Amino acid sequence: MVQFLRFAGIRAVLAFFTLCLVSFIVFSLMELVPGDCAERYLAFKNSQGAQISIADIEAERVRLGLDRPFFERWVKWIFGAFQGEFGDSCILRLNINQLLGQKVWLSIGICLGSLLLAYAIAIPVGIIAATSRNPYLNNSLRLVSYLGLALPNFLLALMIMLFSTMVFGNSLTGLFSPEYRDAPWDWPKIKDFLSHVWLPVFILGWSATAFAIQTVRALMSDEISKLYVTAAAARGVSGRRLLMRYPARHALSPIINSLGFDLNRIFNELPIVALILTLTEAGSLLIEALARSNDQQLAGAIIFFLTGSIVAINFITDITLAIVDPRIRRSILG
Amino acid sequence: MTETNIYDANVDQSAKDAYFTAGQGQLIWTRFKKQKAAMVGAWVLVILILSGIFAPFLTPYDPTIAGRDKDYLNGAPTIPQFCDDNGCSLRPFLYAVERERSLATNFRWVTKVNTDKRLYVQFFVEGSEYKMFFMTFNTHLFGMEEGFIHLFGTDSTGKDIFSRTFHAINTSLAVGTIGVFIAFVLALIIGGISGFYGGWIDSFIQMVTDAVRTIPAIPLFMALAAFIPDTWSAEERFFFISIILGFIGWPTLARRVRTHLLTERNQEYVLAAQLCGASSGHVIRKHLLPSFTSYIIVDLVISFPYMVLSETALSFIGLGLKDPVNSLGVMLQNVTSADVLLNYQWYFIPVIFFIILVMAFVFVGDGLRDAADPYGDTKK
Repeated sequence: MVQFLRFAGIRAVLAFFTLCLVSFIVFSLMELVPGDCAERYLAFKNSQGAQISIADIEAERVRLGLDRPFFERWVKWIFGAFQGEFGDSCILRLNINQLLGQKVWLSIGICLGSLLLAYAIAIPVGIIAATSRNPYLNNSLRLVSYLGLALPNFLLALMIMLFSTMVFGNSLTGLFSPEYRDAPWDWPKIKDFLSHVWLPVFILGWSATAFAIQTVRALMSDEISKLYVTAAAARGVSGRRLLMRYPARHALSPIINSLGFDLNRIFNELPIVALILTLTEAGSLLIEALARSNDQQLAGAIIFFLTGSIVAINFITDITLAIVDPRIRRSILG
Repeated sequence: MTETNIYDANVDQSAKDAYFTAGQGQLIWTRFKKQKAAMVGAWVLVILILSGIFAPFLTPYDPTIAGRDKDYLNGAPTIPQFCDDNGCSLRPFLYAVERERSLATNFRWVTKVNTDKRLYVQFFVEGSEYKMFFMTFNTHLFGMEEGFIHLFGTDSTGKDIFSRTFHAINTSLAVGTIGVFIAFVLALIIGGISGFYGGWIDSFIQMVTDAVRTIPAIPLFMALAAFIPDTWSAEERFFFISIILGFIGWPTLARRVRTHLLTERNQEYVLAAQLCGASSGHVIRKHLLPSFTSYIIVDLVISFPYMVLSETALSFIGLGLKDPVNSLGVMLQNVTSADVLLNYQWYFIPVIFFIILVMAFVFVGDGLRDAADPYGDTKK
């Protein structure tokens, strides 16, 4: 038990370091973007008719602490970030926590849902693809799931939207119907939310399925030719029982390990789908923040949340795997 | 799966010899040929790659604004035909298209097809000049003496979508190739060091690799793309985007290289080489690299469609390549308005090519993976 706790502790420290490292990389990238917060804010004021001089920019820079060295600002930012304090958005002049609020949790939720959907499809299909001798079944299953990859998801979103507008007269955009947007969470709101959220989850999940299937299929076909499977078959274990009890258990544990990175892949797709479906959660806010207005503070906060959730998932899967997989448990407990 | 069972005593000795002395590449090819889906994918892929390379010759017009047909904007595809009410001809022909604006059309430009006037399709016509393999040509596979031929229609500025599509395949493949190449070199160096030396160097590199894998790529792209000055030309943008793609794609490959090296470096043949006094560099180049080149090639093919997809995603959010350049991403971006979906469906033709390209890559990747599996023959 002590050893297990030590393992968990080391993992937690590693996860913390990864988060710091990532935030450093992200923060440095933000630094690359030309122009800083002070300039941008005053440029905005200038466009409103106020006269702005160089001295004003300098004063604003001092007020925001932008005159400090890069490293110091990063340390300050990361300390704030761990306390859940990200400061104000550069352009919108609003507190970032207020701005993001539940949006972050909604988008992380959507991505997790898509990930679940992807593996719910990928594990059975991948196993069939690796083991089936029926080429037609095998190829058509793969064809459908790879189509999710090949069909650009923004196109899929657009086509579903257009179709539903023409057939049902409802464009399926957004996450809530207007009357529920600011309402507190209760049962009708949840029902309304579920009736909207399936579309992004479906689109993101389908496109994530292809990669998941490739992984499951590769791992499964590596395992299935091993001798212990043959031995089990020789002992008379057959059919689904053989697959699930022997190779599948081995093949699937590396997948648990890479769940965090799969989530990352889905995060990449999210802003694009969000843009089309006009989901006003973190995804499209990120595009706003980076592509349209170069809002470093806001973008930094969003990326911090996203990477934070990936690191958290990696940590959780590491620990779960250590508990579930006897090989890893043995190597820790000695 | 195997057509000739090599373990069967009755099989011709020479076939057996051929099997046991075959190189890794030959074995993979033999196994690959047996997979129908992968072979179909491979043929499609070869055709697409060739048509991408020979795009300037295969397409009748320049895909840029220079080759536009200013009298046929947002025009529907013109399909050559052999027969009509006036009888048949052996040469395919099109009808002349006329543009008119009068009281009858409410003073808007309206294109009208004149079914009485036939324009014949010519082969090996001389048209706009293009460069291929550092030489200048002006012969196109087909074209028209008079009027224009638009197999896939035209876009809002009158550019020929057929020409654009084939040039776009070329561009997207080039972006993917450069991206994959950079990712490959980085992965080989980083994964190689990590796997060969092991120990704390390995742990440290793995931590950095994992951190890089954790960064969501699209925001990273965005930050970098925001860094591109507006004054950059299309070509500079193009190279920059491919380089970014490469810099983001390496971690997965590097991990594979590392894992393979970690298992391979403890093999006896490596020990033997080291005992003979071979240097690390020699062991890596002569013994370790050849042991997994085929796997690396497989990984490269598998990662290729993801590169092409990233390019399209980037171009779609407007941070990648932009309109005068013809890439599949740019072509896809053009179909995203409801106007196009409802009225100009021929904009979707490049999308079909894109889907086919990605599918072909994925199936070939799967097939190669199975073929490269050294235990693949013993199962089933």
